[in-house]
Amino acid sequence: MIIALSLALTAFQDPLAEAQANEARRVAVVARCTPAVCSVMSMDAPGGGSGVIFDPAGFVLTNYHVVGEPDDNYKPPQAPAAPPASELEAFRRGKPDATDADVAAFTQAWRERWEVEHRPRGSRHYRNKKVGLPDGQLYEAVVLGIDPGSDLAVLRLLPRRDGQTWPHCDLGDSDRLLVGETVFAMGNPFLLASDFTPTVTFGIVSGTHRYQEGQGQRMLVYPDCIQVDAPVNPGNSGGPLFNEQGEVIGINGRISIGDRGRVNVGVGFAIAANQIKNFLGDLLAGRHAEHGTLDMSAWFMGSRTDETKRRGVFVQQLFKDSVAARNGIGLGDEITRFDGAEVRSANQLATLIGVLPAGAWVTVWHRPVLGEGGFGDERRVTLRLSTLDTGSSLDGGGDDARLGSLADRRLATAAVLARWRAAEEPAGAVSWSAVHPDGATHRGILDGDRLRIERGAVVLVREGDGKGFAREGDVVRELTADEHERLRREAASNPMLWPRATARQRLQHALLIGGVHVHGAPAYRFALPGDGECEAWFFADGTPAGCAFRDPLRKARVERHVRDDQLRFVVDGKLEPGWSAGRRTVGAVDESWFRRQS
Amino acid sequence: MKRLLFVAASCAVVPLLPAQDFGKAYSFAERAPRSRVEQTIDTLLPSIVKIHGASGLATISAYASGILVSKEGHILTVDQIMLQPERTRVVLYDGSVHQATLLAADDRLGVRLIKIDPKLVQCELRPLWPAADTNFRTGQFVVSLGNCFRLAEFSEKVSATFGVVVGRANTALRYRMTDVKYDGDVILTDACNNPGHYGGGLFALDGRWLGLNLKLLDSKETNTMLSAAMPVQDLLPYLEEKIHGKPRPDAAAAKEPAWLGAVLFDKAGRQSPPAYVERVTPGSPAAALGLRNDDMIVRLDDFSIRTCREFREILGKYTPGQKVTVTWKRGTQVMNGEVVLAKEPTR
Repeated sequence: MIIALSLALTAFQDPLAEAQANEARRVAVVARCTPAVCSVMSMDAPGGGSGVIFDPAGFVLTNYHVVGEPDDNYKPPQAPAAPPASELEAFRRGKPDATDADVAAFTQAWRERWEVEHRPRGSRHYRNKKVGLPDGQLYEAVVLGIDPGSDLAVLRLLPRRDGQTWPHCDLGDSDRLLVGETVFAMGNPFLLASDFTPTVTFGIVSGTHRYQEGQGQRMLVYPDCIQVDAPVNPGNSGGPLFNEQGEVIGINGRISIGDRGRVNVGVGFAIAANQIKNFLGDLLAGRHAEHGTLDMSAWFMGSRTDETKRRGVFVQQLFKDSVAARNGIGLGDEITRFDGAEVRSANQLATLIGVLPAGAWVTVWHRPVLGEGGFGDERRVTLRLSTLDTGSSLDGGGDDARLGSLADRRLATAAVLARWRAAEEPAGAVSWSAVHPDGATHRGILDGDRLRIERGAVVLVREGDGKGFAREGDVVRELTADEHERLRREAASNPMLWPRATARQRLQHALLIGGVHVHGAPAYRFALPGDGECEAWFFADGTPAGCAFRDPLRKARVERHVRDDQLRFVVDGKLEPGWSAGRRTVGAVDESWFRRQS
Repeated sequence: MKRLLFVAASCAVVPLLPAQDFGKAYSFAERAPRSRVEQTIDTLLPSIVKIHGASGLATISAYASGILVSKEGHILTVDQIMLQPERTRVVLYDGSVHQATLLAADDRLGVRLIKIDPKLVQCELRPLWPAADTNFRTGQFVVSLGNCFRLAEFSEKVSATFGVVVGRANTALRYRMTDVKYDGDVILTDACNNPGHYGGGLFALDGRWLGLNLKLLDSKETNTMLSAAMPVQDLLPYLEEKIHGKPRPDAAAAKEPAWLGAVLFDKAGRQSPPAYVERVTPGSPAAALGLRNDDMIVRLDDFSIRTCREFREILGKYTPGQKVTVTWKRGTQVMNGEVVLAKEPTR
């Protein structure tokens, strides 16, 4: 601290040295960021935008409006006529007496497998893009995921050689930004650089948490953007906004224009990195990301005449079947708080909701309007945001809307796992429990293949594949098939029970299928092979975030959303309130846990 | 398509009395300022207010910015059509909305003080005042604060723009189709002015107040749009007079302007046109000289007159009662005559 202070003092004593040090730092940051900034262009049409590589596996963030419209004449990729020589050779070696017909059958099967692996599944597709990198190389890129709701898209660069990696820049924390902070915008405005070296512009953060209305029906809303005075011009769209540390804290997408025409007037808007992170799971999983909505509109109002009327944010319009109405929010109610934040204006409420994905659970505090004009006591409801229609139904809808192929998604899965920080946790048996205020406790203990679940007086134990027992009081019996399957699914999908070091290994056959919002933070959903729709959820750093599977005992899909001691039990889309997470311990195995006789 | 888009309609039906508190800053967690620019902006932001007025016609916006200049609630802003009595509201940094009364504008400067009732303010009023040193240098870094495009509402922070002083200029200015009366130097900066940004302030990085952001003006000489600010030095006499009741040093000694009585054909445009006489006021010195419309004034004594602007500037050097020789051109003929300048009769 003292050293830093004295350093700062000496720097201030010599302004020239200070300016030179600042410049050197700036130059170094720009040099480090430059290789990851790219130009995104259509294969045939003129014009284009910018983008940034945010993962060494070649994933690029850009604007949805840079990607353009889906292609009606899309032709799926064709499998090569023959498998690679190495695979053919391996087949021949395994079957030395193979006839030509055998080889043809092998080739046919290989090509079918290739198509399953490489063809996207959705019903609308985007043509591949040309992406120019600052080293002058031009790559082809697949449009992997889109988010028209917040004007984002993720592309995947097609490698020239196996295992190719690219220089990249990490996403930073945009909520730490402060007005006046130095930022750099990079990109290819006006497509100035035909060799794709990016243009760098410098400025400060002019404002944070700005709300900018959508352009186009229900699309391209900038609900929580960063306002910058760094010049952002046509062609900068999709390019990164960096902070002084060289972290991507936004994607430049929009400018305000004044009386001067469509030129920069020192007011640019970037989509905040923290909003992007909320949708990254869906985007990397090849989806059309969907935004959440309360299906209502709010109105900021004050009253001149009637002192009994409150001034604040009120529900102006809502549908009878909307998620808000179904949870008891009525027309004219005052919205007072949203997920802990005090609601001060309709703009702020729009900002808070606008950054959340569909299906996110939120808590809303409201005062119901009373018949005689007053307002009732503050009420708290927890509800699940419904889906804002940005055209995802046309892309196939729900989990089936996949712009990316299986091969793309396997790469994305590996990329997400590669970003986890190293697990520092001893191996051993893991115990984790869920606690309810009325005294109920669910506890699970996992040791390798062995799992013990305690639900009140009932204990279910899985001793390994196909073996196990149940105990109710002193009565010991064999497991039913359903109980056995329930235990298997719990062990397969619940990452809270996995020693951290084994998580990657347990996910080796898993596939990233999207994002999920868990207690205010974005997490990734990994689908596990086998029956039961088993999913394990993790936050970006590898911390477990919950799980989901179809419970054969309850005949329902159960979800557990876990963040620290917060726990949400969701059964078939309905919340079971009151639960919180108990302690998670890792330690030595007590053999009595798995013994039939107590 | 049964779903409604969540569009936030923000409509402020603002109460007359009393001032309303719309709360502290948003609940977004924010770190403490670190760099000098961050600290300066953080210190200055509470002194910048958002002003909302009579709703604008067509492209005339109904919002602007202002600078708090006294603990008594005086706010300095650029005078404009939206500032109407009873209809001008001020939003302070804490989000509270206040009704403002209008004080006398300064016509030459094009600025106006408005005032809110400090008794109704619950937050600390943090006024700014020009420092002893108001000098600025070309190339100096500046930050410009104001609510451009009305991006900030209630307690949201107004926009901050970074730039350099491009230079000092004395140029004929025009706002849209109207000439600007202010004829002093302006500070040119590359920190863009935008609708709503005017009335905000231009500051040095150490927080010194340098200027008041002007509207998006055109230079009549180059026909280009300028981001300009009025130096606080020029504003100081007006502020001193209206807030502290100090008479303007030049006001007491101010001489009455001299009057010739020839109305020139002077239209707003790129360049000031030659000094053609459009009309002669009966009974004026010009009438006594025998000036007629379409005469072109080319000299006052030994000062040559090429434009209407030069005519006004030169005439400004004279006082009523002084003798002047006027030279003018009528057709191909050059004529002159001597006349005693008068005082403009009050209408």
